[in-house]
Amino acid sequence: MTSGAAFFDCRRTISRSLCSLLPVAAALITSSPAFAHSENGAAIDFAGGFTHPIFGPDHVIAMVAVGLWGAFLGMPAIWLLPVVFPLVMAIAGALGVLGVPLPGVEFGIALSAIALGGMVAFAARPPLWIAAVLVGAFAIFHGHAHGTELPVGADAIAYSMGFVIATGMLHVSGIAFGALSRWPAGRVAVRTAGAVIAIIGFAYLVRVI
Amino acid sequence: MNTLLRALLPIGLLALTTLAWAHSPIMGIGGVFGGMLHALLIPEHGLSLLGIALGLERPAASRSGMLIFVAALVAGLAVTAFIAEPALAADILLAATGILGLLIAAAWVPPVVAWPLAAIAGVAFALDSRPEVTATDEIIRMLIGTGIGAAIALAIVAVGSTFLRGNAARIVLRVLGSWVAAIAILDLSLRIATRLATGS
Repeated sequence: MTSGAAFFDCRRTISRSLCSLLPVAAALITSSPAFAHSENGAAIDFAGGFTHPIFGPDHVIAMVAVGLWGAFLGMPAIWLLPVVFPLVMAIAGALGVLGVPLPGVEFGIALSAIALGGMVAFAARPPLWIAAVLVGAFAIFHGHAHGTELPVGADAIAYSMGFVIATGMLHVSGIAFGALSRWPAGRVAVRTAGAVIAIIGFAYLVRVI
Repeated sequence: MNTLLRALLPIGLLALTTLAWAHSPIMGIGGVFGGMLHALLIPEHGLSLLGIALGLERPAASRSGMLIFVAALVAGLAVTAFIAEPALAADILLAATGILGLLIAAAWVPPVVAWPLAAIAGVAFALDSRPEVTATDEIIRMLIGTGIGAAIALAIVAVGSTFLRGNAARIVLRVLGSWVAAIAILDLSLRIATRLATGS
């Protein structure tokens, strides 16, 4: 099949508007990266930002737990909590980048896994504002920790994009798994996952203390 | 489902974007086309256009807000042709984008706030767009291209955002707003920290 034929076949089978945007996506995929604002050759790109939250297991479990808990609580927590977390995390991250100190960061991160995992494990359903405040409070510790680890001189915009999108993807993965809670067996699986996250958080806490 | 897919497209496109050269997107391409590429390929500019288009998506703020942005952009480009690029233009653009992102995430974009932000973003966008060439004719051609490129990109995202109807799409809009704000805040802080560290 020629590319033209494939394109027209695509228009028949996929949404027309979606299909018409495929060339744009293809152009973006094939564009090569460059480092617009690197300093001292220490540029770190989109991939660096994207992998930063993923390679920190303590961060991963907490972010997944946010998604899990949101899915468990249902609307509107399912989207509100993952909106609150990156916003607060970014503000706290900015403070970390700028060198503003925050005591007990590692303790707070370990506690976040225990608390958020525990909420899922015990199927806790507090009022929405309490859930949002709790998630926001823990996001401060995660954001600050990330901020202090961010390399000055990184290619800021690409790094930030990768970082935020990876965080969002971790929430989405938590939400996807948490969606299993619609079914009885899935509910058990989700609560078990919450318990595992809390246990891992406890192990981190012991190590911190 | 199609609505959701359309709404998710900006996320996908944002994820696919790679870094671009700050002041020479594609070597050898100058003039109006070079200016258009400049407007489209600078990540900060793309992020701000996304934030502005999404922020001005609501009918109460949209038409006047878009006009204000374009008017500010044109005025800013006219000034940019004759002055050196101000050091803080990108920072101001990011700050305006971040505030717009926060407002989108909060689903509260009153025109009294959105319109001044659109004006500030338009001027900052233009001031941050001065091409690194010396010939005045070439600068003017590239700035015209930048204005056209920015207006086209804004129109495309704005038209796309009109498909964001219904609960699922509104949620995607708010999530996108939070991501735009988070990226702008982190980017801005990294820029400031880098500037402090290097003393520039």
